[in-house]
Amino acid sequence: MGGELGSLVAAKLEAEPWVGALVGIDVDPPRRRLRKAEFHLLQPSQRERIVDVVTKFNPHVVINLSVWEPDARAGLAHARKFTADAATAIIGAAAECPSLEGMVVRSGIEVYGRERNAATRPTESAPMHPTSEYGLMLANVEHQAREVGKRVGIAVGKLRLAPVLGKHVPSPLGRLLRQPVVPFSLFADSPFAVIEDGDAARAFVLAAARRLDEPLNIVAPGAITTLQAIMRGRRVPLPMVGPEWYVASKLSHVLGAPIPDHVVELMHRGRLADGAKALQVLGFSPALSTPEVIDHLYAWESVVRIGSIQEAVA
Amino acid sequence: MAQLIEFPVKAATRAGHALAEPLRAAWPSHSVDDYGRDPYLISALAPFTKLRWSVTVGGTHHLPANKGALLVCNSRRYSLSAVYAALALSEETERPVRFVGRPDIAPFGPFMRRIGGLLAKPADVLSALSHNELVLVAAEGTSHPRNAGKVPHELVGPAVVAGVPVFPVATMSSTIGRAARVEVGPAVRARRKRRGPLAEVELADQVQHHIQRMLDGFGGVQTGVAPIDWLAEG
Repeated sequence: MGGELGSLVAAKLEAEPWVGALVGIDVDPPRRRLRKAEFHLLQPSQRERIVDVVTKFNPHVVINLSVWEPDARAGLAHARKFTADAATAIIGAAAECPSLEGMVVRSGIEVYGRERNAATRPTESAPMHPTSEYGLMLANVEHQAREVGKRVGIAVGKLRLAPVLGKHVPSPLGRLLRQPVVPFSLFADSPFAVIEDGDAARAFVLAAARRLDEPLNIVAPGAITTLQAIMRGRRVPLPMVGPEWYVASKLSHVLGAPIPDHVVELMHRGRLADGAKALQVLGFSPALSTPEVIDHLYAWESVVRIGSIQEAVA
Repeated sequence: MAQLIEFPVKAATRAGHALAEPLRAAWPSHSVDDYGRDPYLISALAPFTKLRWSVTVGGTHHLPANKGALLVCNSRRYSLSAVYAALALSEETERPVRFVGRPDIAPFGPFMRRIGGLLAKPADVLSALSHNELVLVAAEGTSHPRNAGKVPHELVGPAVVAGVPVFPVATMSSTIGRAARVEVGPAVRARRKRRGPLAEVELADQVQHHIQRMLDGFGGVQTGVAPIDWLAEG
């Protein structure tokens, strides 16, 4: 509930008539004003406390958004540990709640992997073959949720999100695209799709309301290549051929925009998915297309000067 | 108070604009579709493809106006018949026709994806067909231009699953000349109703038979010089 996506989901849930009480757990405080929700500031490692909070509340629905994308808010090692700890604690605690009817977990289209001859636009029925660290982390979360769902007999919805971008979302892809100089793969400038944070939050609310019991791809329509995204953002494109990617990623890390393996994979091999089933099952249709999400990303000012705001107010 | 060291964003942005502006003016910043096909690139390449092939297209009235369909064409080895047939049919029908059989290795794979290529995988074909796309599959390559090779039934299967019609497409081109022909035949109907995988196996055989009949109907090479015609017949 403390991350951008979590805060958005909580705010949207508060507005839903079917939601009575709402409890959230995160390592950061909420980023929005929440009127109904009760918030607990807890670390993923505080399993006992998490189990205590969840079982005391005894929810009907649990939404697990506690996925740390590598190099978004934490480095790879921390992201892996936090995600695994949080999944164990929250999914495990949810299983102890007698009133629980359903659980919705955050996953990503990274679970399909981009190995050679992998489907261009995988549907939900495509096998999971993650080829990046992030993909493996998400596949583990899905696996845990599925096992608990089978054991306890509850509905488990898995929302496989395309890379989530938004003005305030910490995302390695978003951060990289907003650098003044952006590398792209000259010989393999493959297309990818993304999803806006507001649309992703809406999908979680719909999935929770309908007690979704299957995986769904949540993808904005359309596609864009890295070069096209760079041109839309009026950044300097830096063509890369192969070995210099290593140097570029190290340099980018120093400049504050690390490039994790799943982002390199996206830029080389593309990342698309078929999101048609979400419309059939949830009636979910993203408000923004992929190019519009990219425009939205660039529409945010790099630095907001406090002085200029004060002048404007005066 | 600590000093904030800032990257010279304005200077870099100005440099970026100067460098990228000509590129931006020449190329639209959004031109790929959901499968990565780039109509703008295809139209930019059209003069070059027309240098190689001058394609006569026929029988497109058989194709559905906006529903999905699987097209199966014959293929002479190294003739790129699926590529030129897909490009010619796209231009004629004003609908994207995606060809199956792109490699998945850079730089050829991404380039062929941009001109409408799909992987030769049933999942890719099914995904496109279920979104009402026209997909062109090539039969196995042959050394003789008027022989239809075996039609891969595993790629015909998605059409059976998606419930879309299958059309035979006869193609003919010359190794040295520019003249090429693409003829779409009427939809092939399965002779028997099958519930299992025999449906696609039998349908694939029928399609091959139809393509062969269409190729026979094309007639042989007629240059007016009998020995050359005889040699061209292989």
